[in-house]
Amino acid sequence: MRRLFLILGNDVRRHLKAPLVVAIFIVIPLAMTGLIGVVFGPRTEGSQLPPIAVLLVDHDKNLVSKFLLGAFDVDQMKKMFQVTVTDEPEGRKRMEAGKASAMVVIPERFTLDLLEAKPTTLLVVKNPAEQFLPDVVEEFMNTLAVILSGAIQAFAEEARGIRAMIDSPLASISWEALGPELGKAQKKMTSAEKYLNPLLIRLREEETQAAGARTRFTQADLFSIILPGMAIMFLLFIVQTLMRDILSERDDGKLRRMLTTPLRPLELIGARLLGGWVMGVAVLLVMVGVGTLIFRVTWGPFGYFLILGGTASFWTAAFFALFYALVRNRNQAGALGAPIILAFSLFGGSMMNPEAMPKAFRAVGILTPNRWFIDGAAAVRDGRFPLASLVILAGTGLILLALAVPALGRRTSV
Amino acid sequence: MLEIKNLTKSYGEVLALDRFSLDLGKGEVLGLLGPNGAGKTTLISILAGTLRDFTGTVSFLGRDLFSDRGLKNRLGVVPQDMAFYEELNAMDNLLFWGGLYDVPRADLKRRARELLDLVGLSGRAEEPVKRFSGGMKRRLNTAIGLLHRPDLLLLDEPTVGIDVQAKVSILEIIRNVGAAGTAVIFTTHQLAEAETTCSRIAIMDRGRILAQGTLDELVRIVGERDIVEIVGEFAAAPFSEALQDLAGNGVELLSVADGLASLAVADTEQIPRVMDRLFRHKLAVADMKIKTPSLETVFLKLTGRSLRD
Repeated sequence: MRRLFLILGNDVRRHLKAPLVVAIFIVIPLAMTGLIGVVFGPRTEGSQLPPIAVLLVDHDKNLVSKFLLGAFDVDQMKKMFQVTVTDEPEGRKRMEAGKASAMVVIPERFTLDLLEAKPTTLLVVKNPAEQFLPDVVEEFMNTLAVILSGAIQAFAEEARGIRAMIDSPLASISWEALGPELGKAQKKMTSAEKYLNPLLIRLREEETQAAGARTRFTQADLFSIILPGMAIMFLLFIVQTLMRDILSERDDGKLRRMLTTPLRPLELIGARLLGGWVMGVAVLLVMVGVGTLIFRVTWGPFGYFLILGGTASFWTAAFFALFYALVRNRNQAGALGAPIILAFSLFGGSMMNPEAMPKAFRAVGILTPNRWFIDGAAAVRDGRFPLASLVILAGTGLILLALAVPALGRRTSV
Repeated sequence: MLEIKNLTKSYGEVLALDRFSLDLGKGEVLGLLGPNGAGKTTLISILAGTLRDFTGTVSFLGRDLFSDRGLKNRLGVVPQDMAFYEELNAMDNLLFWGGLYDVPRADLKRRARELLDLVGLSGRAEEPVKRFSGGMKRRLNTAIGLLHRPDLLLLDEPTVGIDVQAKVSILEIIRNVGAAGTAVIFTTHQLAEAETTCSRIAIMDRGRILAQGTLDELVRIVGERDIVEIVGEFAAAPFSEALQDLAGNGVELLSVADGLASLAVADTEQIPRVMDRLFRHKLAVADMKIKTPSLETVFLKLTGRSLRD
């Protein structure tokens, strides 16, 4: 037993003297988690879109064009759009310089054509360098066009009256004549008011308030889902790398030298397994710590997670003990190790949400440690003891261990 | 101290050790000389306990070496491989390897410092071994085998691939270890190493000891005869044929290959007779040297080939 711990201590010391490999395998999953979370995660208040820069060119300078300009001046719209009224040559120059997302050009006679119920066209010039902001402007203008078209059709009779007056010189406008037109329009507005105010259809925001559930899905929640998948994938990589000593010590003569000492083969096998397990748990703890501090990941009850991590590390150590007992040499181990881990990770849900995978993939996934670790981590996050995951990981881990010990015994005998 | 009886080991059809027997006393330094494939490393591996499936017995300190696990604490092994951790420093390596033996931790530290002094590495004790030269690594490799003060030290070609200075240092260590009472077996290709280091030399070939004894005893096998080395443009078969009638008449053909032959002659008067036979058979001789008998000539006589073959 003393020699077992001597080898274990020596292995830990060696890996601490050359920590680069372990450090890389810790940093990569954390970096990947951060990246995925930032790219695909929900946005916080601070990360909302900036106002969209829109240029407005008004060739019409009449009643309806002013209404359109006014639409951008509403408080809600001011948050979304930063509108600059300009002339067309200047507007085009600024668009070419990429200084706005879109330019809206209101044509001459826009108001008159609308009042005469003639088709007219609003021009929206989009900045091709931007992906979706110009589309937002276009959609907004489409909506305005629909509203205006509808309004003009509803008030067609009044519009014609107003149209006639717009053509008349200001001095000849008969206020007696305008009065009835406005009066008719007002009557329609009044009769419509009971439908318009309050609006028949209103939008209301609602979020689920299930017992114990958080009220909002945050970026930290996304990290909490991604990081366990990444952690188990890189746990497999780390333990695979560290347990490679089983082969390298055989190749470079250290194993033969060890066997000339009073060390028993079983002590050596125990040291290798224990070493893989200890390093696995240590690496998981580092990931938990960093995940909590940097990504605000919530793991659930720490004790439950520690048991789950310890069991997953045990499974991993037993698996790679068997793996190294079966492969012929370091080249074969290198060629097979990474594809096996990547397959575990792909089918097991480390790379994508298992729910989004085809049925066949999900069926294969239950054969991987990744799937059970991820399921277990989800259970712990919800405050539940991950019994099913522990039973599967510990049970299959014991089977692997039972196969690995005699196979390694043959490897370490000479 | 060590008694090997009828040790036999084969790899398939190849017989690596053929009823090998040997006795070794306390403080004796035995050099095992032999060409590649002679069975030297196989013997060391069996004694070190890293090779199985053999027949024969080995008694060490009166006990069976392979069934008494406690004897591993009395046996030191210096393998041909540089078997230590390059990422650790020399001191950490010594403490780890020494720790695998039953040496108390406090004694182990003192012993590690002593050995670092002995192999001239005390100034580099805290430096990662990967920065060491080949010679320094060989010295560390040797020191690891001595940590637990073994009664028997096995060294498998401990001077391979190192510079002269490091070689001299390691051979000196081996001599000192023997002088301190440890029995030593070391294998080598180098006749000079065996000549200067060993109290006894065993010449091995094809899994057997062909001859053993002190250097003087072995040289007497060749006798007081001179050795004649002939270089020329000739094939082995006609050369042997040309000297056939001189065999047993003061001339002994030790070895012959195409272009090179070695003869032992009772006196230098035999040389003109040899040359006469060669000229008569139209064999061209380019050079001829007369040497006094040495371990090399013993080896040639016993194996019929040079150690480098």
